[in-house]
Amino acid sequence: MKFSLNFVKEFIDLKESPQKVANLLTMAGLEVEHIYREGHDWILETEVTSNRPDWLSIVGIAYELSALLRRKLKVKIPRLITKPLLKEIDIIIEDKEGCPIYLARLIKGVKVEDSPSWLKHKIVACGINPVNNIVDITNYCMIKWGNPLHAFDFDKIEGNVYVRRAKKEEKFTGLDGKERILTEENLVISDERKIIALAGIIGGKNTEVDQNTKNILLEGAIFSPVRIRRSRRAMGIETESSYRFERRVSWERLKIASQEAVNLILSLGGGKLYGCIEKGRRPQRKTRRIVISLPHLENYLGERIPKQEVKTILTYLGFQVEKVYKEKLCLKPPSLRMDVSYPVDVYEEVARIYGYDRIKPTLPFIPKQIYSSFYQFKKVLRDFLISLGIKEIITYSITSQSLLEELKEKNFIKISNPLRQQENVLRPTLLCGGIEAVKHNLNQKAFSLKFFEIANIYFKEEKSYKEKANLAIAFSGERNQAFYLKGVVREVLRFANIKDYSWVPTEKANFTNALDIVKDSQSLGFLGKIDSRLKEKFDLTEDLYFAQIDLEKLWEKREPRYFSPFSRFPVVFRDISIALKEVKFSQLEEIIKKEAGNYFKGVEVIDIYQGGKIPPQIFALTLRVYYQAQDRTLTSLEVDAMHDRIRKILGEIEGVILR
Amino acid sequence: MLEEIKKIENSFLQEIERVKTLEELEALRIKYLGRKSFISQAFSQIPNLEREQRAELGKVLNATKEKIVFLLDEKRKTLSMQEEKIDLTIPPFPVERGIKHVLTQVSGEICGIFEKLGFIIIEGKEIEDEWHNFEALNIPLEHPSRDVFDTFYLDLPPISKDKGKLLLRSHTSPSQIRVMKKMRPPLAVVSPGRVYRPDKVDASHSFMFHQIEGFCVDRNINFSHLKGVLFYFAKSFFSSQVKLRFRPHYFPFTEPSAEVDLSCILCEGRGCSVCSYKGWVEILGCGMIHPEVLKACKISPKEYQGFAFGMGIERIAMLKYRINDIRLFFENDLRFLEQFYEV
Repeated sequence: MKFSLNFVKEFIDLKESPQKVANLLTMAGLEVEHIYREGHDWILETEVTSNRPDWLSIVGIAYELSALLRRKLKVKIPRLITKPLLKEIDIIIEDKEGCPIYLARLIKGVKVEDSPSWLKHKIVACGINPVNNIVDITNYCMIKWGNPLHAFDFDKIEGNVYVRRAKKEEKFTGLDGKERILTEENLVISDERKIIALAGIIGGKNTEVDQNTKNILLEGAIFSPVRIRRSRRAMGIETESSYRFERRVSWERLKIASQEAVNLILSLGGGKLYGCIEKGRRPQRKTRRIVISLPHLENYLGERIPKQEVKTILTYLGFQVEKVYKEKLCLKPPSLRMDVSYPVDVYEEVARIYGYDRIKPTLPFIPKQIYSSFYQFKKVLRDFLISLGIKEIITYSITSQSLLEELKEKNFIKISNPLRQQENVLRPTLLCGGIEAVKHNLNQKAFSLKFFEIANIYFKEEKSYKEKANLAIAFSGERNQAFYLKGVVREVLRFANIKDYSWVPTEKANFTNALDIVKDSQSLGFLGKIDSRLKEKFDLTEDLYFAQIDLEKLWEKREPRYFSPFSRFPVVFRDISIALKEVKFSQLEEIIKKEAGNYFKGVEVIDIYQGGKIPPQIFALTLRVYYQAQDRTLTSLEVDAMHDRIRKILGEIEGVILR
Repeated sequence: MLEEIKKIENSFLQEIERVKTLEELEALRIKYLGRKSFISQAFSQIPNLEREQRAELGKVLNATKEKIVFLLDEKRKTLSMQEEKIDLTIPPFPVERGIKHVLTQVSGEICGIFEKLGFIIIEGKEIEDEWHNFEALNIPLEHPSRDVFDTFYLDLPPISKDKGKLLLRSHTSPSQIRVMKKMRPPLAVVSPGRVYRPDKVDASHSFMFHQIEGFCVDRNINFSHLKGVLFYFAKSFFSSQVKLRFRPHYFPFTEPSAEVDLSCILCEGRGCSVCSYKGWVEILGCGMIHPEVLKACKISPKEYQGFAFGMGIERIAMLKYRINDIRLFFENDLRFLEQFYEV
């Protein structure tokens, strides 16, 4: 809310500089976001928290300053006049929950014209455009007391006035000139034939006060915060009036604000008060009493504030200190402070005025807690991937349905209230983010991309859903990255110490040459190269190699790690050059393992040739087989014999050509 | 003979001056010390000489040979060293390094500071229900305090009636509820993670961002402790020079509540565009956990009390590194990612 400091000064003497006042308010919880000079006045723009509707009025701000400065207020309360009784029309409240009380005052014979400049200045300084004297007076009273009022042109009202819910698809044109189609959520003010206001939100064009208006019906009311909230949300509108009603307006000040408006209309616009009416009443409530204990206050704030100071602070805030027993105070909170109901609310009041900054900081004793967490696992895995030279990315969890359909994904979770179609579903795969990041960097002419992301994926599962942490690895570059990716995935599996898993070739949408990583007949994840359809679809200039691993499964299947003894006897290797047609390396590996038995140390592919002079469908490989014994040095004769036997066996397989 | 040796030595001295490469040096060695060289030949003739001559010639030959060997060695060293000379104005080769995303770095650093104080890290869930995201945190339905928590709802059936609709959490505070429901005090926990709000994307808004929630509950945890812990955090994370300002505020789930401002690290409080000329920048919200929140977690507010705080990781990272656009975090441009090093 924007307010004029001169306006506040009408109710409290302020010798302090505007900056000092702004700082005082800020440090008491009414944050002054901007402060600037306007002529002889200073304008303060504040952020009012939703618990303090009393700060949406000049008088409310003056009350706060009175407590902060321990200074007397100069607020004059007008004498309330409730006669004569209004007879010309009746007010009928149909929705008593939506409108517990409704006051109306009929003033006849007014002259509608421009407001005097003092009035204009005051409302303009508080951010409201002047309209005419009548409308400006209602706004002035709203700013001063916090209670919104509304003035109807009485002659445009046909018959009695009703406060009721709108019927479905009833139409209403507001003072802003917009026609709205209402719903049953809307609370309206109507006469016998038409809707004359969207209650508590905006008045109707059809009963607007204009130059020709002579007679005025002045409305003052309490509307239910929830009703106003639903009503204005249904219409997608927020006004100074709805803002206040939604945060609760004061019962006490309703009649005061209305009376002051009547007085001002009579003095500035002329005319005569013809009738007053009041319908509905304030529901009976128990008076609130809060008992606070000073030792508890001290234990809660960690600061000892003397009893006398506590009492002074609360008294200036408008609390009545009713009883004092030893270390306890029985308090009656000010009626305007609907937000105060627990002892802790009182503690905040005391601390706020005492000054948060005066409370000394101390460190608590925190007993050591033992825990092992999945968070820690992800953290060390992240460090591990970084040690492999891979860069971490963070991509959006929310993506578009059309993209997921392109990726042939199903069972994804939709957002019921998306902002845009580009962000309307939760991703069931980390592929979307990986593609985006790679594509962005390829377009920036960065090549050789090595990315990973650790994040959740989300999907539906019969009547339920899953949110699962996954690891994605995405490589792109000029070279074939398939085996490098496989190597990194193997490192990740080694990191978690996963044993006895297998790489199972699989068909996977969007991928060619995909492998499933299978352990205990469950898939831990997969890797592959995205197919040319997708590559084209996303305009990728390079191939993209991608792996995704289920981290919860990895965490679950991980095994404790123990030292395993190794042989210190020399390793001997021999190479085999070989060409394969429709024979897989894994077949050869199995044979080599079996034949070398205990002397098998490992087999590596040190070279792959394809194309060139070699006919298609034939892979030429150079294998390097490592031999080692646990208990002695192998002689070259032994190794040669073993190696020749293996060569011979391999050579006999159909589709294998020794070179 | 001696004269000839002298001559050989002199011609060697002249020739070695002209040697430019190791190959030439090797040729020179062969010429003067090789099997067919004069010196080798001369040595082989020694046995044929008179006794007196033998000793003298041997002495001279040895001296000459030693000298040649020495000079050859010296030359070899010089030549080898010359070969090391390359054009070091050539730029260094690019080295690929793994990098933690800056948000992970900042989040990890913040969590690490709290871990030193004895806090433990427990993550919450991103898909939450209304009860955990709102009601249990004392944020009533149909209340203006919900306005700051605009929320994405999901097309999933509710898990149970009393937990309400499913949504993407709009803050990390529901982690507080999850932990307090499961574990009993004393508790000191930080919970980092992604949060979501339907905000239009611009330089300072994103529909997805990160927060860290922290809370501490025990019999005597108080507001002074909250201040102490946050001072420790701010001084460790930013610098020992920073000042903090606790400004009363309103959050439904804490009472008393505060927003915490940091003395602007750019202008040191003098006023600049980063702090909108206020000298302070807001960095987090905090307060004493509301008794209704403890009750919702079946912890008696008569026995226990505690504090909680929450901060946006992007905001802290932007302040620390003077990053001016939140979208940079999620674009994953290498030129951005590569700028950050964990310290």
